[in-house]
Amino acid sequence: MTSLTIHRPIGPAIERRSRAALGPVVGLLVLLAGWEAAGRLLTEAFVLAAPSEVARYLAAEWALMGRALGVTLTNAAAGFVIGNLAAVLLAAVALVWPRSEGVITGLALLVFCLPLVATGPILRVLFGPGPGPQITLAALAVYYTTLIPLLIGLRAAPQSWFDLVRSYGRGRLSTLVHVRAMASLPYLFAGLQIAAPAAFLGAMVGEFTGAQRGMGVLTVRAIRALDVEMTWAIATLATLVSVAVYLAIGAVARRVLLDEPPVILSAPAVTGRRRRRDGWIDASLVLALALGGWAGALWLFDLNPFFAKGPHDVVEALFLAPDAAATRATIGAALAETAIFLIPGYLAGLLAGAALAMLLILVPVLAGTAMPVAIALRSVPIVTTAPLVVLLIGRGALGTIVLVAVMVFFPTFVACLQGLRQAPGQVMSVLDSYAAGPLTRLVRVRIPAMLPAFFAAARMAVPASVLAVTVVEWLATGAGIGSLMALSASLSDYDVLWASVVLVAALSALGYVLVGRVERRVLAIYAPEQLA
Amino acid sequence: MTKDLNRRTFLGTGAAALGAGTLGLGSARPAMAQTAVSLQLSWLHSAQFAGSYIALDRGWWAESGLAVSLLPGGPNAPVEPPVVSGTALVGISAADYTAAAVAEGAPFKIIGVAMQKNPFVIASLPANPVNEPADLVGKRIGMALANTPVLEALCTLNGVDIDGIDIVPTQYSAQPLLAGEVDCLLCWETDLPVAMDMQGVENQTMLMADHGYAVHSQTYIATEDSLANRRGDLVRLMSGEVRGWEAYRADTDAAARLTLEMHPDAGLDLETQKLQAARQVPLMFSELTDANGFGWWTDDTVAANVETLGLLGRTVSPDLWDRSILEEVHGT
Repeated sequence: MTSLTIHRPIGPAIERRSRAALGPVVGLLVLLAGWEAAGRLLTEAFVLAAPSEVARYLAAEWALMGRALGVTLTNAAAGFVIGNLAAVLLAAVALVWPRSEGVITGLALLVFCLPLVATGPILRVLFGPGPGPQITLAALAVYYTTLIPLLIGLRAAPQSWFDLVRSYGRGRLSTLVHVRAMASLPYLFAGLQIAAPAAFLGAMVGEFTGAQRGMGVLTVRAIRALDVEMTWAIATLATLVSVAVYLAIGAVARRVLLDEPPVILSAPAVTGRRRRRDGWIDASLVLALALGGWAGALWLFDLNPFFAKGPHDVVEALFLAPDAAATRATIGAALAETAIFLIPGYLAGLLAGAALAMLLILVPVLAGTAMPVAIALRSVPIVTTAPLVVLLIGRGALGTIVLVAVMVFFPTFVACLQGLRQAPGQVMSVLDSYAAGPLTRLVRVRIPAMLPAFFAAARMAVPASVLAVTVVEWLATGAGIGSLMALSASLSDYDVLWASVVLVAALSALGYVLVGRVERRVLAIYAPEQLA
Repeated sequence: MTKDLNRRTFLGTGAAALGAGTLGLGSARPAMAQTAVSLQLSWLHSAQFAGSYIALDRGWWAESGLAVSLLPGGPNAPVEPPVVSGTALVGISAADYTAAAVAEGAPFKIIGVAMQKNPFVIASLPANPVNEPADLVGKRIGMALANTPVLEALCTLNGVDIDGIDIVPTQYSAQPLLAGEVDCLLCWETDLPVAMDMQGVENQTMLMADHGYAVHSQTYIATEDSLANRRGDLVRLMSGEVRGWEAYRADTDAAARLTLEMHPDAGLDLETQKLQAARQVPLMFSELTDANGFGWWTDDTVAANVETLGLLGRTVSPDLWDRSILEEVHGT
C-alpha cells in the first residue's frame, strides 16, 4: 500500500497509466473469450455472433461497412461539435448573466427530454431529405450532458482564487479566463467523454427517419434479415469507434489537466425565501418561453396542422374534446406501464454506476478490465442488445429494466469516476501522512468530492432513462408510452402523439426537479460552493 | 437513351432533393425542362420498390419531363406528413393508414394500388403449423401490440375466438419464433419468411388476404389539391410506375439486380432480393390487373376493403379511392 501511495505526488495521470498498462489487454481478452463462448452457445437462437464470425464478416464486407461508418461518423461528428458548442455557449451566457441560468437549464432540460421517437419524424419533415435529422438528433443527444457538468465545473474553484483575481482589480472576464475556464476543464472533458457514444447513437437513430445509407440503415436491414453476423459487426464497429473517441478525449484530458484538483472551501450558501421566489419565477419563465417557442416555431416554419399540433391543440385533446377522457386514460395507462420499468432501472443504473466507480478507485487494477466493458455496454446500440437481453432475461419487465439501467449506468459511472478523482491533492496528502487506507480515503475525501458530479449525473440520467425506456418500448417490447407514441405517429393520431410528448417532457422535468431537491440538501453539507 | 445519361439524371435529382434547386440550370440534360417531384417510399430501399427503380433507371420519367426523387422510408420515417406538406407529390401508404390519416383531417385520395392482396401473413414452422385461422387457437403469436386490430379483424372474419390466442409482444424479427418463444408470427409475406428461407429455416405462411382480410397495401396517395392542380405530373408519375412494374414482373431477377446496383450502400443481399421480388408478384398482379392494368381496382374490391377497414375501426367511404389518374394512364 505504501509503495503505491509514495507515487501520489507525481500526479494521478502517470500513476494511472503505469498501473493500468496490462489491464486493458487482460480485460479485452476476457471479454473476447466470454463473447466467443456465448456466441457459439447461442448459434441456434439467432441473437449473438461470436467475435470470430464478426471478424470474418468485417473482412468480407469492409467496403460496405466502411462507407456506412463514414456516413454515420460524419453526421455524429457534426452533431457532436454543434451540440457541444451549443453547450459551451449556453454555459457562457449563464455565467455572464447568472440570473438566466435557471431559465437556460430549464429550457435545455425540456428540449433534452423530448422523446426522439416523436422528434425524429418531425425533424424529417422539417429538413426534408438529407442528413439534417441525423445531425440534429446527435447534437440533441449530447448538448445537455456537456452543459450540466460544465456549469458545475465553472463554479468548482476555491474562493481564494476569485479573491486573487479581484485583488488585481480585474473583472468577470478575467475570472472566467483564468479561474473558471481552467476549473471547468476536467468537467468538460468528462462531459465530452459521455457525449461520444451518445452522438453516435443519435446519428444512428436519426437514420431511422428515412436515410439513404449509414450504420442505422444497415442495422434495421440486418435485424430484419436475421443476419446476426452483420448485426454484431455493426455493433462491434459502433462500439470500437465510441471506445476510440472516449480514449482519445481521455488522452487529451490527461495532457491538458496537469494540476491536482484544489481544495474548495466555501461558506454555506444562503437559502431562503428569495431563492425560492426566484425558482418560481424561473419555472414560470421556462414554461412561458417553451410554450411561446413551440407556437412560434409552428408559425415560423409554417407547418401543416395535420401533423404539427400547437399548445392549444394539446389542451383541446387532453381536456376539451369529447374524447378527452379516453385520451387521458390511454396516455395515463401507457405512462403508468412505463414507470414500472423506468424507476427501478433508473435507480439500479445509478447505484451500479456509482458503485463501479468506487470499486475502481479502491482496486485500480480493475480499471483496465472494467473500463472497456463499461464503454462497450453503453456504446453497443441498444437496438442490437435489446433482443439479446430479452432472450437472456425474458420478455418480462426485467429485460427493459436492465436496458434502462445500462443506459443510465454509463454516464453515472464516468461522472462519478471523474468526481472521485476530484479529491483535493492537499487533503489526500494529509491522509497520506496518517497512512490512511484506501477505504478511509474513499469515505472521508473521495465520496464527498464525488457528490456534485454524482448528483449532476443523477439529474442527467432522468432524461437519459426516459430516452432509453421509450426506445426499448418502441423497438423491442411494444409496451408503454414509447410504443404508444410510435403507434400514434403511424396512425396519424398526432393529437395523442404531441400530448404524449408534452407529458413525457413535463414528467421528466419534474423528476429532474425532485432529484435536484435531494441534491440541494446533500450538497448544502458537502459542497456548498455549488449552491452559491 | 443511354444508361449513362440516366444515371446523371438520377444524380441531378439527388442534388435537387438536397435543396440545390438548380435543376435545369446545371443539369446535363438540355432536352426539356424537368419538373422535380418526389415519391415518398414507405420503407428502406429494397426490391419492394424495384418497379420504381426500373422506371428511373430506364429514363421513363425523364422522357416525360419528370425528375423523380425516391425518398426512402424507415422505422421512424413519416410517410403521410411529407405528402400533406408537399415535400412529396405522392406517398406509398396502405389503405388502413390512409384511412386513419383521412380521419385526422388529411385530404388524401388513393390513386393506385400496388399490392392487390395485403401482405400480412401468419408465419409458422412446419412442426407446429398454422394453415388456417382456426389453427391459431391455443398458439402463442409474436407481434407488435399495435397490430392487435389486424388479428382481431382476421378472427372476426373467420369466427375465431381471439381470447384463445396468446399474444406475445415482440420486436419485428423472426428470432422469437426460432428461439421457441412463440409458435407463430404476424408479419409480411415478403420480409421475415424470406429471411428464414435465406437462413435455411423451413417455414410456411398463411396469407391473411386468402382468409377475407381485404386491405389494399402499398397504395399510392396524393392530396386532393394535387389531384386538382397537378394532374399532369400525377399522370406522368403513375405512368412511369405502371411501366416500371410491368417490366419488373417480366424479370424479377433483373429487378433485384438493379435494386442492388442502384443502392450499393443499403446492405442488400442479391439472393434475398431475388426471392423477395419473386414472392411479391402474386400480391401485386392478379386477373384484375391482367385485365385492366397495374394498380387497378373495382367497386367490388373497394367494397371488401371498406368492410375490412370497418372491422379495424375505420369508417371509410368508397370516395377515398380516386381512379381518374389510373384511367388516364391506362387510356380507358
